[in-house]
Amino acid sequence: MRAPTLYLHRKSGLHALHPLTKLALAGFFLVAAATLPNLWLVLGVFVIGLAPLAAWGQVFKPFIRTSALLIWPFALSLFLIQGFFTPGENILLKIGPLAFKAEGIWLAAKFTARILVWLGAATLLMIVTRPDMLMLALIERGLPRQIAYIILTSLQIVPRFQGKAQVILDAQRSRGMETEGKLTHRLRMLVPLIGPLIMSSILDLDERAIALEARAFSREGRRTSLKSLHDTSMQAAFRWLMIALIVALIVVWLIRVLP
Amino acid sequence: MDRIRREFTTLTLVMIPVAIAINVAVGQLVLALKIPLYLDSIGTVLVGVLVGPWAGALTGLLANFVWTFTGLFPEAIAWAGVAAIIGALAGAFRVGDWMKVWWKSLVAGLITGIIAAILSAPIAAYVFGGVTGAGTDAIVAMFRAAGLDMLGANMAQGVVSDPIDKAVTFLIIWAILLALPERIKARFSSE
Repeated sequence: MRAPTLYLHRKSGLHALHPLTKLALAGFFLVAAATLPNLWLVLGVFVIGLAPLAAWGQVFKPFIRTSALLIWPFALSLFLIQGFFTPGENILLKIGPLAFKAEGIWLAAKFTARILVWLGAATLLMIVTRPDMLMLALIERGLPRQIAYIILTSLQIVPRFQGKAQVILDAQRSRGMETEGKLTHRLRMLVPLIGPLIMSSILDLDERAIALEARAFSREGRRTSLKSLHDTSMQAAFRWLMIALIVALIVVWLIRVLP
Repeated sequence: MDRIRREFTTLTLVMIPVAIAINVAVGQLVLALKIPLYLDSIGTVLVGVLVGPWAGALTGLLANFVWTFTGLFPEAIAWAGVAAIIGALAGAFRVGDWMKVWWKSLVAGLITGIIAAILSAPIAAYVFGGVTGAGTDAIVAMFRAAGLDMLGANMAQGVVSDPIDKAVTFLIIWAILLALPERIKARFSSE
């Protein structure tokens, strides 16, 4: 069963930063990749921004591995589809009626670089930030507790439900259910598989609700938290800087694209 | 406002994470059976249909956040808005009493699929360069070869794949509603 989150525990300076500082940094990379006009600038964000940060967080190898794993399906589709179907003059390769064009390669490279930075920023943030700490930081800034509850509980129970699905699949197979064969047959098999999964989950919802209510879940008012976050005025200033840079990037981009 | 308050009881709040986990687990079952559908909004539709449009929308939105957090599908967050609308539509069809008859559920699924396809296409085209990195990119390539542009090919691909996916999703939910005891259904109802 796969780990429910990407978080990797390390004792690094990056890990020790306040979750919102890391979120602001990820937001800056995201906006930079979306608004920078040039392929090399976008790749630069990855090489001189994300990669050294990952090294600082002592997660360089897993970060590069995850990024590579996530980007290759996009890269493959982009280079094939844009390479063949983007209109252009500079033909590199002809296969039958199809022509592979330089214009398409450039377009594909630009989108691949952008997606690489986006996925990289998101995965790096999640590799070095505990989801519960991020949620705690957001609650302190006004996120409703219920939203944090939903996200954190989902992350916890996803592996359990994946296990449950596997158990139901095995149980039906051991009763002789044929899971191979024609598509129409396999489609019909969905009902005896999904049915028990959903039914059994709905039936124990009441218990979950009672367990929460017994802990005053819906009570109004302030809560104290067992966990506490470490923040510094330096980091607060850094976050404002990131927000200012994000606004600046968007303004420059708007000036460029608006007629 | 009043409707929102009525939809978000503690029972609804505990149901949403379960629905999100169902989305992930069913996605896995579909892979195991090698069925060319996603069915990854089945929990979202379930909440929409059992509770109402607001709860459905929140489930869809947060489901895509969770996909991103798990690292299984980090780009999901870009489609969070579409997922929210799918949940809201499921709720609206229930309020409109479409989920009682099988063929109306099927039509509701088809409509939801078409709307989802139209809303997703610009995201795939302008944000991700016209691809999603999934098997359906083969269909996109087909439409581009037939002469459609980036947005057109993505929309055509969506209109081919999404309505079938959502129609199957809605039919399964219809069957589950049929099997659920009235007593349980009444517990969720916000009417």
